[in-house]
Amino acid sequence: MNIAVCVSHVPDTATKIKIGDDNKTINKAGVTYIINPYDEFAVEEALTWKEKAGGDSKITILSVGGDSNKETIRKALAMGADDGILLKDDNPRDSMGIAKALSKEIKSHKFDVVFCGKQSVDYDAGAVPQMLAEFLDYSCATVVVALKMDGNKIIAEREVEGGREVVELELPAVIGAQKGLNEPRYASLKGIMSAKKKTIEEKPAAQAENLSEIIKMYSPPAKQSGRILGTDASAVPELVRLLREEAKVI
Amino acid sequence: MIIKSSTDEIQNYLVDASNFRGYCDAIYIPSGTMEVMNILKEANNKKQKVTVAGNGTGLTGGRVPQGGIVLSTEKMKNIIEINSEHKFAVVEPAVILKDFQDKVREYNLLYPPDPTEGNCFIGGTIATNASGEKTFKYGSTRVYVNKLEIVLADGDLLKLERGRSISEEYKLNLKTESGKEYRIEIPVIDMPLTKNAAGYYCKKNMDAIDLFVGSEGTLGVIIKAELKLVPYPEKIISCIIFFNNEKDGLNFVFDARDKSYRTRNKKSTANIDALALEFLDENSLNFIKEDYPQIPANVKAAVWFEQEVNSSNEEILLEQWMQLINLHNGDEESAWFAANEKEKKNLEEFRYKIALKVTDYLAQYNVNKLGTDMAVPNERFNEFYYFCTEEMKKNKFNYVAYGHFGNSHLHLNLLPRNESEYEKGKIIYKGIYTKAIELGGTVSAEHGIGKIKTDYLLEMYGEKVLREMAKIKKQLDPNLILGYGNIFKESFLK
Ligand SMILES: Cc1cc2nc3c(=O)[nH]c(=O)nc-3n(C[C@H](O)[C@H](O)[C@H](O)COP(=O)(O)OP(=O)(O)OC[C@H]3O[C@@H](n4cnc5c(N)ncnc54)[C@H](O)[C@@H]3O)c2cc1C
Repeated sequence: MNIAVCVSHVPDTATKIKIGDDNKTINKAGVTYIINPYDEFAVEEALTWKEKAGGDSKITILSVGGDSNKETIRKALAMGADDGILLKDDNPRDSMGIAKALSKEIKSHKFDVVFCGKQSVDYDAGAVPQMLAEFLDYSCATVVVALKMDGNKIIAEREVEGGREVVELELPAVIGAQKGLNEPRYASLKGIMSAKKKTIEEKPAAQAENLSEIIKMYSPPAKQSGRILGTDASAVPELVRLLREEAKVI
Repeated sequence: MIIKSSTDEIQNYLVDASNFRGYCDAIYIPSGTMEVMNILKEANNKKQKVTVAGNGTGLTGGRVPQGGIVLSTEKMKNIIEINSEHKFAVVEPAVILKDFQDKVREYNLLYPPDPTEGNCFIGGTIATNASGEKTFKYGSTRVYVNKLEIVLADGDLLKLERGRSISEEYKLNLKTESGKEYRIEIPVIDMPLTKNAAGYYCKKNMDAIDLFVGSEGTLGVIIKAELKLVPYPEKIISCIIFFNNEKDGLNFVFDARDKSYRTRNKKSTANIDALALEFLDENSLNFIKEDYPQIPANVKAAVWFEQEVNSSNEEILLEQWMQLINLHNGDEESAWFAANEKEKKNLEEFRYKIALKVTDYLAQYNVNKLGTDMAVPNERFNEFYYFCTEEMKKNKFNYVAYGHFGNSHLHLNLLPRNESEYEKGKIIYKGIYTKAIELGGTVSAEHGIGKIKTDYLLEMYGEKVLREMAKIKKQLDPNLILGYGNIFKESFLK
């Protein structure tokens, strides 16, 4: 089985994001980057599929971006993926630009299945897997929390508002992984060492024009500081009143 | 200043993470030095007991009052200065340790003392000479205290700077800001050759600052400290390895420990030199299994290590660790290796989880802590570990054993489910600390003595030494108002 996983390189979810002076980008000083958390589920799923399929199955990691994305590709290699390809572009791309670059590369490989995270936690557009499927003419399911292979078909469970939806897809397919799909493994020491030795293939990302533009980025309004109503039991009635009448939560 | 005295308001101050409980009349929360001085002056005149409180994460009841008032440092929480050129920081006592560490990291600096509970106050860590994962390489809190400002029992201010007041052999002179002088006799003792937080620090030609580090709120209130910082390592690798055989896990630790010592002595940079070396036994792994279902089945032990690396030695070091893992039959396929900063934090949390769950367990069953904080000299640790675990098995008592094994430091926590099991556990515990003392170890390597380990300290040092230590206390605090019940049993304070 020939498997692809598309990964993105995003700011650590634990870092405090500051907006840059241009009000359009983030200030990258002091920000550490990690593999997009949803992509970890995608990599893990690919690894279990490979283990099940056995034979000469292979996992290729793809990422669109600058040199620093190699760190995230290596992380996926350390978890157990076989090859890595960086589709290089130092300029920011929108979802469409990323999906175009990925689809061009994927077309030349004949992958049976392409795993992505359901969304990337930097811009949160949640659009690449669907666009990718469209460009490739593959079937597609996103927000997937359970997956089963059944011959040439896949049974996927999707998280939908208030419940689950079960869908059947034909291969080849694009899958957008949601939290809960699996429990991503840590890299092993051996994985880390062999990932260090692997060369990551580097090619220019296919040309694509951005169709959307960021006009402005701004922080959400600062949280109002809390109010202390009292520090003993006598404050409880007032607290209950406020929760009911002002905050309307009870 | 805030004063709290209603029952509801003072509840939180009557307990710490050991679940030991106390009582008091009121909580005084000063906002600066002058207020601390005034509180103590007044209390001293009234001969009223004053218990100093940090953030209450202590594990020995140290901040739990036995009457009188609590002086909570919580409002004095400013980081006054971070000097990246000379690598130091000046802080007030209630700065939260983990916030401080995050802050200095922004300057590419590291404050190495890192007790597993990061929510403690820096004042608390100085008062208990706390240590943590990185102590294996960097030593305990003591090493990082450059200067201290302390308010003494009578409200007088004492300023100390490392290197400025050294004892002449065993005679130590102190001079306060008001000009008052104290001539102190340091007891002549052999402190155990391990990390140690039991009783006062006593050594020939010692620094006065070291008497106050680890004095558990019995000699004064720490109101300001200058702390030494070190450059943040270029990169830290972090890994948890699982073993199918406990002995293999232990031998792995011992081997890594010895290799690290050799590297440090020769100052070579491309040899194993662990930053942290922590061990978790099978019971500990089972204890947190529901939180970490990924723990491989049937494993008997886990070791967490960290190692500082840079781009030129990383590969060689990884190779060396891998060889060591293979040599001791560690399963490198199932090992968890942190590939980025976030995963590194996850591994720290894994180790934190076990300590946290023990604390939750005590609260759930409403029993006091019965956990060892003992360390013994390295060459005796193997013997100590097997003695302890055999005792537990023989008595069919539930327990978890983990800890800073690189420092030959064992946290064996007994898990009684009720008061009668607790009483039974205490008897087993006595056998364990007696053994630690017999092996030349300490009854407390990092948590301090507080109120719940005074018996063990007496066993460790004997009556004569404790009387000499108590004499220091009586000189600096003649009315015995500070930290009543900590370190000394009542009979030594008469
Ligand atoms: C889950 C868990 C894990 C832990 N792991 C570790 C560990 O790895 N290593 C370790 O060393 N400890 C550990 N501890 C114990 C605890 O975190 C430390 O002892 C810590 O240093 C206590 O700080 P605190 O601010 O909470 O102090 P408190 O508990 O409030 O007080 C501790 C003692 O210090 C005195 N004190 C506090 N502030 C001052 C001051 N300004 N002046 C004078 N005296 C003062 C108090 O009177 C008391 O005797 C752990 C605790 C928990 C709950």
